This record gives sequence, structure tokens and C-alpha cells, in this order.
Amino acid sequence: MKEIAMFPQARIPYGTWGSSFFPAWQQSALAEVNIGQFAGEAMGRILGQRRVPKSELDYLVIGSTIPWHWKFWNAPLVASCLGERVPGYHLEQACATGLQAVVAAGAEVESGGHETVGVLTFDRTSDSPVGVFPERRSYQRTVPIADVWDNFGFDPATGNAMIQTAGIAARKYKIDRREVDELTLHRTEQYFGAIESGFLDRVLFPLDVLNVQGKPLGRVDSDLGVRPLTLDGLRAMRELDTCVTGGTQTHASDGMACLLVTTEARAKELSPRPEIDIRFLAKTEIRTDPSLMPEAPAIAVQKLLQKTGLGMSDVAVVKNHNPFAVNDAVFAKVLNYDWRDMNRTGCSLVWGHPQGPTLTRILIEAFEEAVDLGGGRVLVFGCAAGDVGIAALFEVSEGGKR
Amino acid sequence: MATTTSRETSDIKMMRRDTLGTLGLGTVLDVFRNGRLPADPAELVSSVFGPAGDRGALVISGASGIVGAGKMMQLGARLEPFGVPIVGLDMPGAPDGISRQYPGLVRAFGKDGADRILGNMVRLTYDGKSLPDQLKPLRPKFLLEAIPEILEIKRAHYEMFRASYPDIQIRSVTSGFPASQLGVGIAHPAFPHEINKVFEVVEDEPSDVTKLFWALGLVPVPVSDDWSFVLDVLFCGITLAAVRYHRMTNTPVWKIDKYVRKHIGPNPVRAHDAIGAKGATFLTWSCLHHLAGEYGPLFEPTPEFVQHKDSGQDWYPPNHFRPVVDFPFDDDDEAEFLDWILGPLVQMTSLMLKEERAHLGLMNAMGELCAQFRRGILAMIRDLGTTRAIATVERYHKHHPEAAKGDSWYPAALERISDPEWQQLYVNAEHDGKVGVVTISRESYNGDVDAELNRAIDWLKAEKIDRVILTSDFHLSTQMVGADTNEFFPALDSEEEGARIAGDWSRTARRLDAEFAVSVGFVPGKRCLGGYLELMTHCHYLVTLDDTSLGFPEVTLPVVPGMEGCHWPFRKTNADGWMKLLQLLLTGRPVSGANATGWLVDFAGPMEEALEVAWSIASGSDHRIAKRELVREIVPCVTDAMPELPPAGSPATQGARAAIVATVRDACSVNLADSLDVQTRHAAGFLRSDLCRKGRVGDERSRTLI
Repeated sequence: MKEIAMFPQARIPYGTWGSSFFPAWQQSALAEVNIGQFAGEAMGRILGQRRVPKSELDYLVIGSTIPWHWKFWNAPLVASCLGERVPGYHLEQACATGLQAVVAAGAEVESGGHETVGVLTFDRTSDSPVGVFPERRSYQRTVPIADVWDNFGFDPATGNAMIQTAGIAARKYKIDRREVDELTLHRTEQYFGAIESGFLDRVLFPLDVLNVQGKPLGRVDSDLGVRPLTLDGLRAMRELDTCVTGGTQTHASDGMACLLVTTEARAKELSPRPEIDIRFLAKTEIRTDPSLMPEAPAIAVQKLLQKTGLGMSDVAVVKNHNPFAVNDAVFAKVLNYDWRDMNRTGCSLVWGHPQGPTLTRILIEAFEEAVDLGGGRVLVFGCAAGDVGIAALFEVSEGGKR
Repeated sequence: MATTTSRETSDIKMMRRDTLGTLGLGTVLDVFRNGRLPADPAELVSSVFGPAGDRGALVISGASGIVGAGKMMQLGARLEPFGVPIVGLDMPGAPDGISRQYPGLVRAFGKDGADRILGNMVRLTYDGKSLPDQLKPLRPKFLLEAIPEILEIKRAHYEMFRASYPDIQIRSVTSGFPASQLGVGIAHPAFPHEINKVFEVVEDEPSDVTKLFWALGLVPVPVSDDWSFVLDVLFCGITLAAVRYHRMTNTPVWKIDKYVRKHIGPNPVRAHDAIGAKGATFLTWSCLHHLAGEYGPLFEPTPEFVQHKDSGQDWYPPNHFRPVVDFPFDDDDEAEFLDWILGPLVQMTSLMLKEERAHLGLMNAMGELCAQFRRGILAMIRDLGTTRAIATVERYHKHHPEAAKGDSWYPAALERISDPEWQQLYVNAEHDGKVGVVTISRESYNGDVDAELNRAIDWLKAEKIDRVILTSDFHLSTQMVGADTNEFFPALDSEEEGARIAGDWSRTARRLDAEFAVSVGFVPGKRCLGGYLELMTHCHYLVTLDDTSLGFPEVTLPVVPGMEGCHWPFRKTNADGWMKLLQLLLTGRPVSGANATGWLVDFAGPMEEALEVAWSIASGSDHRIAKRELVREIVPCVTDAMPELPPAGSPATQGARAAIVATVRDACSVNLADSLDVQTRHAAGFLRSDLCRKGRVGDERSRTLI
């Protein structure tokens, strides 16, 4: 097998990461705060809990998709909220943001530009801003838009909504509604199993939000909005498009997630378990045909495997961002892979989709799962606006057997 | 030397060395025996500035800065009546810090007084290299230098003055440089400079300047000539500890401040922003930088200090970025936090002890008087005990191994806790074989004072002294403001705790009545309020100055007086006096010593007369003051007639008034032996009430204890 190493110098130090819970749209105190400020302060809190002084950072890559107050000031502002005046930049690629930001941080380290790069992704779908954009060629002089809802409802390149791409993909791959309902139920059970086992305690941090007077506004300590489902309940749900119901698609939520990327030597110093080595192997993206977004990740994975010479059997942990259960059904068909074997600790179909941080949390969960397995390759992938699929491979050393 | 000479003091035995003696002003017992204060301001003004009608000037350079402007007001107000011209010198274009003081002056002295004080000031500018000719006719006699904390600039500044005025006395307000570096004496003042009376002074022998400061009502504190003296080791040290914890744990400084406030008292980081981040951070960095150079990494300023020093940026986020994420501590976090904060403080204190930087009572007081410590550092260490204090530092070294390097850790210095100097930080006793004097140096009464007062009484009893004067130390304590309400926090949740405090303190007070043949309470300062007044009324005689303000402000907090104020003074007066006492208790408004004579006070007069009367009573000389006997039986009908009161104004005051009246009624309706329990029960019960918990004590607790 050929040597695979996208960024041979870069490492992700185990156990220096964390994510907030992802409470659903308008259900938590996160709906009340400036999400950029919250994310910066929360990263400081998480790193503190992880015993990583913020002064270790020398760069910050932030990722978010929804405009927030003062976003012009970008990563330097968020870094100030974190408490460390480091430079950095903002990166955005719709729902791929959370993975793309990690890859970008790897590139920063690999290039030697920076030694320890923080990755901080966040979004607040609650109260997404209403923008008014002058449009000279529009029949309207100004067009008010609600950032999240309008964009999910309309792809300007194709004219279709996100949900329609799921229906179109389901029809193309002749996906059975019954399979999608069963898959969704299984995903829900995986998530609640991960909560019960305490697995998610290693990923998620309860965070106390303050109001402007400094008094408690609320504690964000659960993925509010997630509820147990039954097969009967799922089957009874109205189909909004082919194989898409209220239960078989994700929901909008708010949150943040962060991790560090650094050199091998610094990773050993920063990690509470320096014997665990996490490397970048490969990454790819593809763009599929118009309005077939749910098949894009599967094609991206195919391309990635082809590029690396690996097969699905060479991968220990498979985890994806699946805004529609259809995504997983399509992936299983295209890769001939049992969907039961993936997303073993939960996924965004269940716990919601705050966009920017979604794939970062998925990645963190995947690393923890790989450590539980004693190491192995980690495949993380997902779809993104514009019928894009992104996929990346990482390797967790076997030193981490619990 | 213009100091009034004291009588021979060799016949005086002291529990520990007193602090007045560190100023060369003799002992407190001498003050009474001599019947006058040991220093006369008029004589000392003449000594420092020249005779009346021919006074030279006080020059304050850097007069527009925070320190300079504050001292212009403080010294200007005190020296104006003596006709000393005050010259404020600064660079052209320096922001005008002096005019900004005018509203404060008006509040303190009225418009006419403020105009008079400012009218006595001359403001001059100079180029930093040569002195203006206009200074000459003013004949500078004393320079208080408050220019930037840069050694070379300061030295050149002194040379410039000495070249023109060879006999000028110079003191630097430096917060860090020793006199040996500067070549001049030190008079390092504490923030807020307009009103804080404390100056750390460095000089070989107490000078007339220092004695003049004392005579003007200021509080000079002699310290040794070591980097950053005492105050800024403590203040810069606790700030460094806070910022270092921030650096290691990411906990924001605002949150750290809250926990420092909870456990120690100050908000050290916020204080920098409040003073002015640019100047204050530079001073803190400068002190730490030099201390690190002298003693090693314990004092090394973190990169955050360098960044804030260079940028002048505030430490707290701006208002529009008020924090949104809390950083709560669990028990383990809090224990580790305390190691990070107390560890370096204890270590720094060990260094100051080893270097004998100050009298322990003074060293202890600096944190309380100038750095918002709720209890002095030595009182805190005394509570910890040697073993735990050393263990705290050792745990801190595990978190921060660098701090163990260098020349800054002297655990052996902490083994002196049982010495009288360390055991009696706030209360001293001295006697001449016949009369004892107990002095209290803390302006608010707390558990430390109570314990030390008991030890002082024990000591006098063991010395077979049965005539005593209880008074302030004539140095650190310029007033007696009552009980330290921080002590009440646990009692807001526990009636038992309230009863313990009220009961213990009352039993201490009763010793003044029961264990001495004669006891005299003497109030030399501006006011004696609340718990201190209750304490003093337990003495057989109470002597004050004419204008001393006496009162029971408890109703305004509200709390119910807990040291027997609701029955003890009633037992020493008649129905007319009861009405006046009820007026005091139910309105919270004070009365002057002169107006309280006969029913609360036994004698009030000018200082020298009051001293003489107090000494006459205590020493058994002819004093012509009739003793108001204490009625030990039931005192009936005390509350049958009530004075006319102004409207309560709030349900809290209304409720407190009712509770106080009930306490007076019930405590007077039993004999003296039973009254302590009655008073205690009422006071403790009220502390647990909603009125008290939602009042100022409750507010303060919620702001302090998180």
C-alpha cells in the first residue's frame, strides 16, 4: 500500500477538543447571544477544561455560515473573545465548513506558517439575520432575505430547495421509504446509546450562558429538540418529498465546536494522552449533477478511496453529516456498505445541524470512537450546498486502546 | 526636632511593640500620661516649611497625574490653614487632573473651603529640564515627586531641584524603587489618592515630614527600603497571581476577580481598569519586573502584563462585549484556584517577613487599608497555621514550579505565628504597673479583633492590672465604624451562627465591666459607631471628643444591634436618656459627644482635656466625673414612651425599628444576667430575616460570595 499522508507534519492532539451541545432552533439561551462571541468564550472554557492554556494558540481558523454581528472583524475578534490576540481568518463552505476548517488548519501547520492552530466553528440558526441587499438588476430594488430559511428553500443555481434534492436522489436510487424510516430509527437509537454509555461526555461540554447583567440566562447542556422516535411514529409522518418527512431530516440548531491542529511534538505536549497520534491522510471534494446533493458525499468517498487505494474495509470509523436519512441510504447503495456500521455514536440527522460546527463535532466523535476501538482509519464526509460532497480520511494510532 | 517630648517610657510594659513608636511618637500610654498628642502640627509645619509668615512651598511634581492631583488635594487641604503655598508642577500639555478634583473638594469642604484650598495652589509648567523662575519666590522646602516611574528621569529630576534648592526635602511617591536606588526618601501613597491617608515611608529615622503627616491626620507607615515595599508586593502580587491563573486556565479575569473578591477581598484586575489601565498596568508591571529581577520568577510578569502595559488596553472587555459564557468552579476548581492565589501571596509574605519589611501589625494592615483585603495577609496566614500555609505554597509550586526558583521562599519565616507580634495584629496592650491601655488598630470590629481583645484582657489580668483604658491605636485607626458586616454573612443562613457572633462579642464586651475595677472607653477620633460604640459603652466610663460622632446606624442596614446596645446603655441612664437612646437606635442618626454627655457619654471635651480626664479616671486621680451606675435588675417600661421619629421611608426600616423596639423591651425586661441571651436571640433572629437578607448585608454577601 502506498504511503498516504496529506499533511505529514500536522497532528490533531487527542483530547484537546470539545463541542457545545446543539440545542434546536430557538430553544436555548444560544438564541439570545452573539454566536461569534459565545464561540470564542466557549472555546476558552473548553480548552481550560482540557488544561490547554489559550496562550498555546498562535493562529485561529474560524468557520461559520450565517452572518453575525461584527463578523467583519472575523477571526481576530473571535480570538479576542477567546482571550488571546492571535491572527486568523474566517472560512466558509456551507455545511462542509466544519471539516474544511480542520483541513485548512492542517495546511497552516504543514506549511510551517503556524505551530498550533485553533479551529473554531460555530453558527446560530436561531434568528438568522434578515439582510436587505440592493440588487441593481432585480425587479425589486431591495430584497429582504432570511439567511437560513431562504437559502435552504432556494438554490439560485438550480431553483430547487434542499429538500427537493433529497427527493430527487431518493427517486434516482429507488430508495424505499421503509428503509429510510428504519435507518432513521436506528440512528436515533445510536445517539441515545451514545448518551447512555457516557461516550458523548467526552465530546460535549455543558456551557452556562449569561445575560447582559452577568446573571445566568440558561445552561446549554443537552441537544434540545431531540426526542426518541418509534418506527410507527416515523411511518405515520407525512412525506414532504420522496422519502423525506419531518423525522427523516435534520433540524436547525445552534452551537460551536473546536479542536486544535499542531505539530507532532506539540501534540504530544498538549494531549492528555500523548501516545495517541492523529494524522491527516487525505481529503477530496466533488460536485455532482444539479439537485443531487445527497449522492455527492458517496461519490466523494468513492473518489477518495480510489485516490488512496483503500477500501471501506480498511476504515475503522465511518461517520457523516446526513441532513437527510436518504444520504445514508444512497451511500450504502453506492458503496455497498451496511448503514448500520456507520454513525455509531450519533449523527447530525438526529442531533441537529447548526451548519458551521456540524462536521467538526462529527469529526471529534469519530476520533473518540476510533480511540475506543484501539485506533484505525477514520472516514468523515458530508454534503454541502451546491451539490457538493466532501470526504476526508484520518488515522488514529492504536496506542489509544481504552 | 519639633515633636513634643514624651515622658520616659522605660516603665511601660507592652504586649508587643506598638506602632506609634515606629513613628518616633512614643506610646499610647504616654499620650494619656502626658495629656496631649505627641506631635503638634503647627510646630512641625514650621519645622518643615519655615515659620508662620515666612513659609516656603510644598511642590508636587507630576501634579496633574492621578497620584499628583490626589495629593495636591489631600495635602493642599491640610496645609492651607497653615499658610503653606502648594505648587503643582507638570509638563505643558499634561491632562488637567487638578480641576477635576474640584467637585470632590466642594463636597468635602463646601464651595468656600474648596475655593480657598484651590486659591492657595500655584500651577506651573516646566520643560522637564529646568525649573521655572516663578518657583523661586515661593521658596520650595519640600518636593513630593510624582513623575513617571522611570529611574533615570526621577534621578535627573532630583538633581534639578537640588541644584536650585540645595536644602529641599524630597520624597518620591514611587511604588517600587527603593530609596537606595533613587537617592531620596519615599512617601508612597495608596489609591484612591484624594482620600486614602496611608503613606509607606522609608527613612532611617522618623523625620519631621513623617511626623507632620501623622499630625495632619494622615497614616504614615514605616517600611524597609526594599523593592515595592509592602503594599505593592501585596497588590501587584495578587494581581499577578490572578493573571497567572487566567493564563494557565483561560478563566477570564472578570471571573477570577469574583473569586479573589470572595476569598481575599479585592478585584485586583478590575482595579487596574478603575484606576486607569494604562498607568496602573505600567506601575504593576514595573514593580513586578524589578521584583523579578531581584527575587526571581515568583514575580515574573506574564506576557499579558507586557501586552497590556504596551497597549494601555483595559483588562475587562468593553461594555458591548459583556461576557456571555460563565466559568463556574466546582469544589476542586476552587481549591486549586486558592492554591494559585494564596500560594504566591503566602510566599511573597514569607519574603517580606524574612526581610522584616515592616512591623507585623502594619504589614498586615496594608492589605486591608490599601488593597481591599477583607483581612490582612498575616491574619489569613495565622488562621491557616504554619503547616497549612507552607503546604499551600508547596501545592502552588507543583502548579507553577518556576516560582520555587530564585530567592523568594522562606518557610521558616512562617514559624513565628505564635509570637506576640503575630498574635496581636490588631489589638495591643501596655501598662505602667498601675494602668493598662488597650489599643485597637482596626476600624471595624471582627472576629480577629474580638479574639485579640480577649487575649489583651487576659494579659493585663495576668499582669495584675485592674484599671484600663480602651481606645484606638492613634495611628492606623482614625475612627471606629462598627462591626465588620462581612462577619455576618454566615449568620444570614444560620441563626446559630448569628447567636455565636453576638454572644461571643457581647461576652468580650462584658469583660470590660466585670474584670476591671475601672475601665474607660476613650474615643479619640471622628466617630464611634455601631458595634464599637456598644463595646465602648461596656466600659465604666466613656470619654470622647466634643465633636466625635456617636451612633447606632444598624437600623439603616438593617440589623439589630447585637453587642447589647439595646439594653446596656439603657441600664446606665434615666427615662430622658431612654428617649434619646431610642432616637439613636431607631433613626440611625448620630449625636455628637458634647450632646451625648450625661446619658451616653461621661465626658466630652477638646483632645487634651479629654485625655486628661480619661487618665485621671483610669489612674484614680481626682476627676470629678460621676459614675453612671449600671442597673443590673429589670429596667421596666423603657419602651412605654417612644420618641417622635421621622417616617421610616421603607418597609425594611419599619421592620427593623419594630425589631429593635422589641429587643429593647425584652432585654430590659430581664435582669442583666439574662439579658445577653435575650439580646443575642433577637439579633440572630433578625439576621436570618428576609428584611436583613434583602438589605445591605445580604446585598453585600451576594456580591462578595458569588
